[in-house]
Amino acid sequence: MHATTFAPWEDPEAKPLIRFQNVTKRFGTFTAIDNLSLDIYEREFFALLGPSGCGKTTMMRMLGGFENPTEGRIELSGQDISGVPPNKRAVNMMFQSYALFPHLSVWDNIAFGLRRDRMPKIDLENRVAEMLKLTRLEKFAKRKPHQISGGQRQRVALARSLAKAPKLLLLDEPLGALDKKLRQDTQFELMDIQEKTGTTFVIVTHDQEEAMTVASRVAVMDEGRLMQVATPDRIYETPDSVYVADFIGDVNIIEGTATPDGQDTYRIDWAEGQEPIRATSAHPFATGDRCYLAIRPEKVTISADRPEAAINAVKGKVLDIAYLGNISTYHVELPSGTVIKAQTANTRRISRRSFTWEDSVWLSWTVTGGVLLAE
Amino acid sequence: MTAETATFAVPRRRAVRRAGATRMLPGHAAMILLSLICVFPVYWMIVSSLRPANRIFEGTLWPTAPSLENYAQALQSIPMGAMLWNTVVVSASVTVIQLLTGVLAAYAFARFRFRLDWVVFGLVALTWLVPLQVVMIPNYLLVARLGLLDTVTALVLPHFAHALAIMLLTQSIRAFPKEVLEAARMDGAGHWRVLWGIIVPNLRGMIASLAILIFISTWNEYFWPLLLTRTAENSVVQIGIQMFITQEGTQWGPLMAASTMASLPILIFYVVLQRQVIQSFMKSGLR
Repeated sequence: MHATTFAPWEDPEAKPLIRFQNVTKRFGTFTAIDNLSLDIYEREFFALLGPSGCGKTTMMRMLGGFENPTEGRIELSGQDISGVPPNKRAVNMMFQSYALFPHLSVWDNIAFGLRRDRMPKIDLENRVAEMLKLTRLEKFAKRKPHQISGGQRQRVALARSLAKAPKLLLLDEPLGALDKKLRQDTQFELMDIQEKTGTTFVIVTHDQEEAMTVASRVAVMDEGRLMQVATPDRIYETPDSVYVADFIGDVNIIEGTATPDGQDTYRIDWAEGQEPIRATSAHPFATGDRCYLAIRPEKVTISADRPEAAINAVKGKVLDIAYLGNISTYHVELPSGTVIKAQTANTRRISRRSFTWEDSVWLSWTVTGGVLLAE
Repeated sequence: MTAETATFAVPRRRAVRRAGATRMLPGHAAMILLSLICVFPVYWMIVSSLRPANRIFEGTLWPTAPSLENYAQALQSIPMGAMLWNTVVVSASVTVIQLLTGVLAAYAFARFRFRLDWVVFGLVALTWLVPLQVVMIPNYLLVARLGLLDTVTALVLPHFAHALAIMLLTQSIRAFPKEVLEAARMDGAGHWRVLWGIIVPNLRGMIASLAILIFISTWNEYFWPLLLTRTAENSVVQIGIQMFITQEGTQWGPLMAASTMASLPILIFYVVLQRQVIQSFMKSGLR
């Protein structure tokens, strides 16, 4: 039986929960967000990914009501929310520093917003208990924030932000303060909680692994603009610019000139003395157009001899080996000086590794292995 | 590690510790000396208050014939109880009112942006530099016109706000983590709730330090009460102490006894609030 795929963004009838319409935000002469349009749907776990200063936090703060757009319009459930104060929006936020109230217990931190809403005592107690259970904090209810660990504080912040059952929860680098192991565990917890509550989550992160793990869709940003919005697999497999290909994961970028060579296939002349390589692309290139082949290291096969059927094969010398336990990345230098990375899974013990430094090797990949990009 | 190195490891560490302690010795000695210099006048005041009148100038560290007669004389000569009570009322009122106005003004300066806010803040800060002697006459006239001469109210009235409290609290609120305030705002807390429910409980240390400063400086106030009060019953303890310095000479014994009695409440106040200051320092740090 096929599970129903959650992809409201592919349904032209689907109404977005959040709509950015040509939003621009300027701080003096600095443009933080540049004419940005974006739809985010209900129950999505949406990630805003980009380097520091790319505008992702500004977008989040505009959603939270702490900033207003200079131009354009932001809608929540079809209503323009520009100028609506933070507490009047069905939005809550989990801050990077958790922003817990240091003088209040875990229980009181979670109950804070409910008390402001004047929720009846019995309902309030039930809701706090529900949140404590959801975040597995029952045992710590009476403790103050300084009496619990970083991971527990992170869960208190999550419980507090979910207590008022917001339509939209904003998470600003929520796992940034946790160590790697705890961060990985918490990513799955976050996904579980998001599924259980059905709340739309928008997460801001600069950690691509985190974005790829938790999000249903990822928006890659740069200098206030959206570079690409797609599912994690599409972002990784079919980036639509060199920037996105380079920002997400490890990639080899081979620059050259394209010449059409059959249907959707192009010959790429890329370095003097090197055989041309071939790649497919749905994007049309004319003869002599500048192009960039982005190919992931794991799509490049390394072998001692030239594979017979290989269309793209180059010879080089092993310059460096990065051993990561489960995989090894080989940095292979070609006669032209270009270095290409190839990755292999370490299915055999290290003592039986086929290649070592200075070995002469062949690198090969298929015509569809890489993505041919215009910019 | 071999057994030999293990045997030598412990004495070596002890030697290092001893060397460290030796290095710190001059510092500790200097601090002990400074503490003694600070504490000695207080000790001498208490000891002198216990010396009988005929032995008031004896140079021994402890009175040869200790007695409480100076205390009895001090209590008979001036209405010590009423004066202490007035001083407590004035100091406590001024402390509470200055903290209240300070917190409110500081929140406005720290959190609201309005036209020429920095000019207003600068003017408030400048009032700190204006000495009492400059505002003494206008304040006196105002109090006199209000018919408040020789009243405790008049001692409190000109001290409703102080630039020091406003400036220190403004800096503390400005340094308060913005995200905590935004989280409170997002959870539906207005300015009033944010101030009293979030900021003030977390600035306990700062407020306690300020309370100590304001209370002590008000307690020690001499000139303004001297100008305003006419009767001993409506006066404060600093004026009472001065009453032992007369044209016929100074009554050192009762003066020291009255000074000791005047110092006790303030010492208790300091000890109580000092614990608050230390506790709040220990609990600081939001993450």
